[in-house]
Amino acid sequence: MKKSVVLILALAMILVVSGMVLAEKVEITVATGAVGIEYDLSVEAAQRYMELHPDVVVNVLDTPDLAQDRLGLYLQFFEAKSSEVDVYQIDVIWPGDLAEHFVDLYEYGAERVISQHFPAIVENNTVDGRLVAIPWFTDAGLLYYRSDLLDKYGLEVPQTWDDLTRTAKMIQAGERAAGNPDFWGYVWQGNSYEGLTCNALEWVVSNGGGTIISPDKKVTINNSNAVEIIEMTANWVGSISPDGVIGFGEEDARGMWEAGNSAFMRNWPYAYSLGNSEDSAIAGKFDVAPLPAGNSGRGAATLGGWQLAVSKYSEHPEVAADVALYLASYEEQKIRAIKGSMNPTIQALYSDAEVLQASPFFGSLYDVFINAAARPSTVTSPRYNEVSTKFFTAVHSVLTGQNDAQTALEELELDLEDLTGFEIGRP
Amino acid sequence: MFKKRKTVGMTELGKREQRLAYWLLLPTFLILFTIAFYPLVQVFYTSLTDKTFASNQETNFVGLQNYHHLLGMTIKELPPVIDEDTGEQLLNPDTQKKVYERAIRILPREPVRFRELFQFGFLGRRYVVGAVDREFIRAMGDTISFTIFSVLLETLLGLGIALVVNSHFKGRGVMRATMLVPWAVITVVSARIWEFMLSPTRVGFFNVVLQKLGLGDGQIAFLRLPEWSMPSLVAVDVWKTTPFMALLILAGLQLIPKSLYEAAEVDGASSIRQFFTITLPLLRPSLAVALVFRTLDALRVFDVFQVLLAQSRYSLASYNYYQLIGNRAMGLASAIGVVIFVLIFAFAMLYMKLLGVDTE
Amino acid sequence: MMNKQVFKISKKVVFWCVVAIIFVYMLFPFYWAVNSSLKTESQLQMTPATFIPRNPHTLKVDFTLDNYRSIFTNDKFIHGLLNSTIVSTMTTGLALVVGSFAAFALGKLRFRGKTPSLYLILSMTMFPQVTVLSGLYAVINKLNISALPGMILSYMIFTLPFTVWVLTSFFKSLPRELMQSAQVDGATPFQTFYKILLPLTAPALVTTGLLAFISAWNEYLFSLTFTAIEPASRTVPVAIALFTGTVSRQEPFGEIMAAAVVVTIPLVVLVLIFQRKIIAGLTAGAVKG
Repeated sequence: MKKSVVLILALAMILVVSGMVLAEKVEITVATGAVGIEYDLSVEAAQRYMELHPDVVVNVLDTPDLAQDRLGLYLQFFEAKSSEVDVYQIDVIWPGDLAEHFVDLYEYGAERVISQHFPAIVENNTVDGRLVAIPWFTDAGLLYYRSDLLDKYGLEVPQTWDDLTRTAKMIQAGERAAGNPDFWGYVWQGNSYEGLTCNALEWVVSNGGGTIISPDKKVTINNSNAVEIIEMTANWVGSISPDGVIGFGEEDARGMWEAGNSAFMRNWPYAYSLGNSEDSAIAGKFDVAPLPAGNSGRGAATLGGWQLAVSKYSEHPEVAADVALYLASYEEQKIRAIKGSMNPTIQALYSDAEVLQASPFFGSLYDVFINAAARPSTVTSPRYNEVSTKFFTAVHSVLTGQNDAQTALEELELDLEDLTGFEIGRP
Repeated sequence: MFKKRKTVGMTELGKREQRLAYWLLLPTFLILFTIAFYPLVQVFYTSLTDKTFASNQETNFVGLQNYHHLLGMTIKELPPVIDEDTGEQLLNPDTQKKVYERAIRILPREPVRFRELFQFGFLGRRYVVGAVDREFIRAMGDTISFTIFSVLLETLLGLGIALVVNSHFKGRGVMRATMLVPWAVITVVSARIWEFMLSPTRVGFFNVVLQKLGLGDGQIAFLRLPEWSMPSLVAVDVWKTTPFMALLILAGLQLIPKSLYEAAEVDGASSIRQFFTITLPLLRPSLAVALVFRTLDALRVFDVFQVLLAQSRYSLASYNYYQLIGNRAMGLASAIGVVIFVLIFAFAMLYMKLLGVDTE
Repeated sequence: MMNKQVFKISKKVVFWCVVAIIFVYMLFPFYWAVNSSLKTESQLQMTPATFIPRNPHTLKVDFTLDNYRSIFTNDKFIHGLLNSTIVSTMTTGLALVVGSFAAFALGKLRFRGKTPSLYLILSMTMFPQVTVLSGLYAVINKLNISALPGMILSYMIFTLPFTVWVLTSFFKSLPRELMQSAQVDGATPFQTFYKILLPLTAPALVTTGLLAFISAWNEYLFSLTFTAIEPASRTVPVAIALFTGTVSRQEPFGEIMAAAVVVTIPLVVLVLIFQRKIIAGLTAGAVKG
């Protein structure tokens, strides 16, 4: 009964709005990434939408690729309650924090399509039962390995962190003896920034140490599994990973990796196509695998990626929502997957023949994505950033040797308890 | 003549002069008030509230709570851990150092929690200093020491360079243009250039050179080792902003009348003596202004910390940015802004007093 | 006799050594940017790093102009150069004109409230940029002006106090007799200002202008925010921040370096041109006693 009233109202509104539309073209501005192909594909998609809807003009606005600069910019818009931007491209960790500025997409017909997407992302984007953003493309941590070197030393792709440590050590020793003093076993992202949260979450989850804060609002980080794995990774620094790894971001790791100076790398899928480019020293000599497992017996990958959300301050939220849903639709995600090798959030695309032909390694990613661990951004909102900063600061203090893991996590537990007001629990 | 007028009181001419002065100041104040007045007042006011940035949450007036949070510190004594068998203080079996209670157990948690800042020994006892907002106190210490070292070095270097360029030699034109290069490079980009040169592997210039000289193994993580990171930052800032100092000092040097030096030459004063009796005293006002603005920028240093250290160590401004954009704690961020404001004001007054610059 | 000669020569040698050291110190990091801008991604990651671009395999000198090609085919960058020139020039011009008025009053005229005025002006610029950003954004929105004038106006926050303070100190250093004698000749204080004092402070004006110009040229945060919805008005630092690789997360380091080189060189040329002015100002200044 209630639903039908809503439906009629919505229909009436659409009629009214489309009536207005006839008089004047509706202008929708979509704030997206500025990245070369990513931006071009968004512009093309907007073009296609405009062909289908001649009464709408879609502008694509490029925003800085640096997530932090982009967030700063968005916040200025929200503070001013600006209606200039209608659709925002948002990071997977933002839906919780920014929920109050976005409309509930379920009110604009997202129900029809939402079941196609990865459930973990949908759950991440759902705040108090409201779908604040539609998944657009996704990301997850992967283990890159040098297949040629594994063959050379007769080693297997590591399944556990212990395997990885051993294998990396052997290859590193071998390559150094063979005359490359700059060779290291394993590179990853150890700088004190959000990327370290992603890396460390993978370690902790794979070792059965929980997700820092559990979905049922318990602070779970201070446990022996977490302490054990963080101690172990701290030992990598200076042994299988360069001392400087505690200052590495994604690009630093990729730089070393592509120069052929590392046997393994933890990175996002973007490094795959770049690693096979002409300019790369390791083109055709590497492959990807899920990250190794710890005590839990299963590897874990941190979920990344971008969503589209519709601003509450938009003058035409229904049109804006339609644009967002169109951009995130099956057909559009397929084009992005084929032309830009961006990972779709729609599960069926991972078995789509055309997609697999364009990027064969997508097939093996499906398992990674379906098991990806989301950062506790929605449950801790609107304080996720602070939670994450405290977490990576604590881990970083262990990596630099300022603190032992036990003390760092004990302090972190107290901090998180203060910050969130949640109780302490077991993972 | 002017002096006389002042003592007697305002003459017609004096009043006219005063009116003219106000008219001349008007455009400056008009522009500054239009754009800066509202943001300034807003910052002062917001620092007394718990406002969340970009949120519809209700904002409450909280008085000085943000300042308490930022500046709250405490000192506690750490009791020794006694071995129950011997009644003596326990010794660490590895290091043979005396064991004290862990700071985390001693520092108060209610009503607010204090985090360990550092420990020190005094008269045979051990103490721990705790802070409510540990990162902020550290950022303040780091920023102030960064400011002192970089401004001092920049002033000395800038003075040296200005003196060299001010002397007549072939190619000083080219030199003057050259010395501006670092200042002209976009700040964020210059931080990136240095970050690349300071890379922790042999991709970086410094590791390559030091290794060739037999220092280090080519794997020095300059920006992550406590003993290297602050000197590295100071080096970057000195490179970037010495030109600013040098140029301002140079302009000051050029305003010193040549006749003074000629007279000193006649009197047989050595060039070192000339420097201390003529150059330095007459340079004081320009030096003070250069110092004020250099310090102002150094205390607000942002890019260098943000790019080179990420979030492993903060400057006041990068901590401010983190609180405002990251945590959206606008009340707290504004209070940080006010603290920076007060620091800058104190430095500015100090310079003017120390260098004896008359503002009237 | 001989000794004196040796002394003179060694003094010269020391002097030129100092000049050389300054020269290298100031230019080397910039040289490294030039070097990096001529490298491909894989050359940038070579170990050990090379002082000139070399082929990773054969180690022969091998540089690429791709980075330059791609920034010059980037409309946004070219547009950014233009916008930056407009904004920085206007900002500097406005700050110098308005600032020199105020500085004349503060440096040479007698009136009540001088010290408070100076500190009040300074206090406008004492907050970190990000702190005042949201308030400033609200003001610019309220004034309802577009991005270019918005930037020029908001850059006054840091350029105007600077020009006022620097110029005040220079006006102050001019001998008072100059003004008095002009007044005896029947000139009004304002005439004294622009006919006599202003030309004398020319070197200071040029220096101040240059420094203000460069700080406006390098500004990023205000520009990013105010031009967010007006991409056509973006300045160079914002355009560089929007440089991206072919895929997300990839950072075109070589292009950023190339842009740094391209952006810096016009400024240096500008200085070389203004040199003449500085020298001209000097000769004019030589008249005074």
